[in-house]
Amino acid sequence: MSNLSDVGNLMYLDLEIIESSNETKMSEYLIQASAKELNNSSGRNWIPLVVKEVAEDRYQVIGNSFIYAVAEAAGLEKVWCIIADDSQETAKVTQILAGETIPKINLSTASVDDIKEALEYLVSQPATVLKGVKIAIAANRIDEAPRQYWQDLKPITKLGCGITAGKKVKALEQVFYLTPQSMPDDIKDSKILNTLTTAELKKLAKKRNFSGYSKLSKAKLVNLLSK
Amino acid sequence: MVFTIEQETLQLSSELEEQLVEDLKNLPENAPEAIVDNNFISTSFLNALGFGLQDRVPEFKTGKGTKAVDYGLRFSKDNDLFLHTQANPHVLIELKGRDINLEYNSNSYKTTFKQLKGYLLSSNCKSAHWGIITNSKHIQLFRKHGKVIFPATPCLEISPENIVDITYKIKKKIEETSRALTVAVYNNKGGVGKTTTVINLAATLTLHKKKVLVVDFDPNQKDLTDSLNINPAEYKFYHCLKDKKDLVDLKQVICPYTKTFKGGKTITFDVIPVDNELAAIDEDQIRTEISFHSLRKKLASVKYDYDYILIDSPPNWKFHSISAVYAADVVLIPTKHNNIRSLQNAAKTIKQYLPEIQQVRQEKTQGLEWGAISLPIFFNGEIISPAARVNAKKAITEIIKKAKVETKIDLTPFFFPRHKPGSNTSIFELSNSAHIANSAFNKLPAVYRYKVVYDYYSQLAKEYFLQ
Repeated sequence: MSNLSDVGNLMYLDLEIIESSNETKMSEYLIQASAKELNNSSGRNWIPLVVKEVAEDRYQVIGNSFIYAVAEAAGLEKVWCIIADDSQETAKVTQILAGETIPKINLSTASVDDIKEALEYLVSQPATVLKGVKIAIAANRIDEAPRQYWQDLKPITKLGCGITAGKKVKALEQVFYLTPQSMPDDIKDSKILNTLTTAELKKLAKKRNFSGYSKLSKAKLVNLLSK
Repeated sequence: MVFTIEQETLQLSSELEEQLVEDLKNLPENAPEAIVDNNFISTSFLNALGFGLQDRVPEFKTGKGTKAVDYGLRFSKDNDLFLHTQANPHVLIELKGRDINLEYNSNSYKTTFKQLKGYLLSSNCKSAHWGIITNSKHIQLFRKHGKVIFPATPCLEISPENIVDITYKIKKKIEETSRALTVAVYNNKGGVGKTTTVINLAATLTLHKKKVLVVDFDPNQKDLTDSLNINPAEYKFYHCLKDKKDLVDLKQVICPYTKTFKGGKTITFDVIPVDNELAAIDEDQIRTEISFHSLRKKLASVKYDYDYILIDSPPNWKFHSISAVYAADVVLIPTKHNNIRSLQNAAKTIKQYLPEIQQVRQEKTQGLEWGAISLPIFFNGEIISPAARVNAKKAITEIIKKAKVETKIDLTPFFFPRHKPGSNTSIFELSNSAHIANSAFNKLPAVYRYKVVYDYYSQLAKEYFLQ
């Protein structure tokens, strides 16, 4: 097949037949100043655009959109492009490799080191909202929490590690995703039971055929279920 | 710059669409032909294709004995109702019941296709450009151009979900019948007379009053351009090919090749010659600017201007030959009976290269175009002794046997087109003439100079193309 398609090819294409769908905001200063530099040099974009073919002689940018914006600002008629295949995965990984999106790790299974590095990355960002979060503590508490059952990142806000509800926990979504396991019905670990809501605990109690649980407080429910 | 890909808008009226889906849904699982016809084809399918009652003749007499095809169709004009004249059909439909399996390559599919082919080639159907086989579960559209019949769509599986779309697309194809048949003349082996075939076939078809365009797509050798002594026009083919914005009109690069006969009669066919830039550029560079589909796309812009577009291609399987075959409806493969490699390469083209091309073409057109098929091979211009003929046929029989074992592809029809049980293994032979070879020095197609050469190529044209 590779023999019969342009995939993998470096091609010199008219800017006009390439569509850029990138909405991310790029600094106008960076674009204009880079365009000037490009014009002052040979005018060749040595770092290529990454495009996919969407129809005959129609292409769409999937990576290095910045170069598209610069080429446009520099008034280039043609740009050098790498032709990629049109799969979703290719688009995703290309944007990650181009530094345009942040890769995520699976928090359900990640190691404590991975969690630590991810938090370090977030805290080191210039516009971070996580200032003051103690990375070592947060990483350790997240690691030890029953995160394999988490449906979302909210339980982190209950770990007392400075990551509070709202934009702080939201910021974590940039680097973490979850593939939660379903919680077994016979779970007795009070630490895990404590992370559940009262309603969830009652459901569990019903499944285990307890009676008279409906008026119990959360603490008592945990107590009942952990026996 | 942002643009959107044009969405094809369906042009069937919503009533017709609903009827089509409804009728299809209501067909019993094993409906026999009469019911498929009565409850689906005649009630909604033909209407949806745009053929009213005046435009159809059921049980159309094909002229092949007393045999009739299920439907002959043609759009009637004011004073020319097809129903009344019953002449010059545009489309033939061979209908089957749902109890007959028309899945691609099933036995009954093959028989039905053969049946349709026979009808399309019979005397009352010369005007037919299209043939359809369907049993309301599968449908396939075939194009007929002169004598050549090739699939215009794959054999499509019909469902209530896709019937509207399929019908619309078939309708569109039928309404936009292109005038040209695009033929790539190709063999992976050199020295089998590709260029000679292209030039003389073009001249012959022109003498038969066909409008012909010849494309020299072998820029390394540019034999065709040189043997006709053509100087590229001001606009270069190379610039046209690399123009992905459709700004350079292909017509600007076309050069006429005119022959004036004694007595002042002139005839002309057109040529797209190799220009010096296209000749100089190497494959790596060409692939930075031109795609495999570029030639096909450019030629599509003149497909209503010519009867035949013949493409000369280089003896390899690289950019130029792939582009040529990708652009073609059919591939004509010259071979030499005494050159076993040329026969093996023909087999390789048919069982390996063409399926690859077809796959890409089908993917790129969402399964609506089939891609190039091969015409049967022919022996090109050598004197063949009876013993040599026997040897060549032995070699071919070996090749066919091997292909059947290895790839399950039956090459018989491509080598022995007249093969029937009881075995007819005749292969078309283009007779040898010293004049053909010598003509290269005269910058003139041999058929224009020598009556006997014209006769030879006329036979070739009639064997393969002219009806």
